[in-house]
Amino acid sequence: MRVNHQTSARAARALERPSGFANPWLVLGLEVICVLIYELLQKRGASETASLSQTWSWVGITALISPLVWLAMLLMIVSLLSWLYVLRYIPLSIAFPLSRVVDVLIPLSCWLVLGENISPRRWCGIALVIVGLMLTAKPAAHLEEKL
Amino acid sequence: MNWIVIVLIPIALVAFVTGQLFLKRGMESSAEKGFRDARVISFLIYGVLSMSVNFFLTLGLLAHLDLSFVYPFQGLSVIIISIAAAIVLREKLNFRLTLGALLISAGIVLVSMS
Repeated sequence: MRVNHQTSARAARALERPSGFANPWLVLGLEVICVLIYELLQKRGASETASLSQTWSWVGITALISPLVWLAMLLMIVSLLSWLYVLRYIPLSIAFPLSRVVDVLIPLSCWLVLGENISPRRWCGIALVIVGLMLTAKPAAHLEEKL
Repeated sequence: MNWIVIVLIPIALVAFVTGQLFLKRGMESSAEKGFRDARVISFLIYGVLSMSVNFFLTLGLLAHLDLSFVYPFQGLSVIIISIAAAIVLREKLNFRLTLGALLISAGIVLVSMS
């Protein structure tokens, strides 16, 4: 009986949601921002160094000269660790769809920051993802109330 | 498109989904049992292994195919992961979440195809 009580108390404590900077929703946002920035840094770093060697640029070796690429690797590690933290608290069927907000943010920032073009078909895709995210965010808000 | 591609793309997708499920399972039980627990450690190791299989298969596919062909299949992972989480991890999946995941998947496919 007593053991049972202890384990359930431990389980309840484990499921307690941390607040402040340890809030899992905030960490999910951090993960998304890290992914967004490292993709852009990789793109910049790789294309800046592509002219150094025709052959080696294709396997990513020349990109290692760029400090932007090293910063990207650091952000990759941060994003992985924050994703693992998110998984500890948020159901996968909510956290994973929400994390794909990067698939909207990346084309938008390529358009804004790198001056790349967005085709009409791509705009339609972006709109679909946004509607899907809004549908997913509502149950996420409910989950928050329950916690 | 040859048969290697038809075989490798589903394997890469399955490896990604199983990897996420293992990581989720491992992190979830770590909240209760800590990181020294043998089951937690093996879940996390299986997760990392599956993700590595996906990583190398994706690199291999990208070496031979366009990103605009390979990435849309990764987009399908959203709906597959939601369904797998409902079946394997017993997460509650209502109509709204399913529709949301479907739209996100469809959107990613459209975004990455063009």
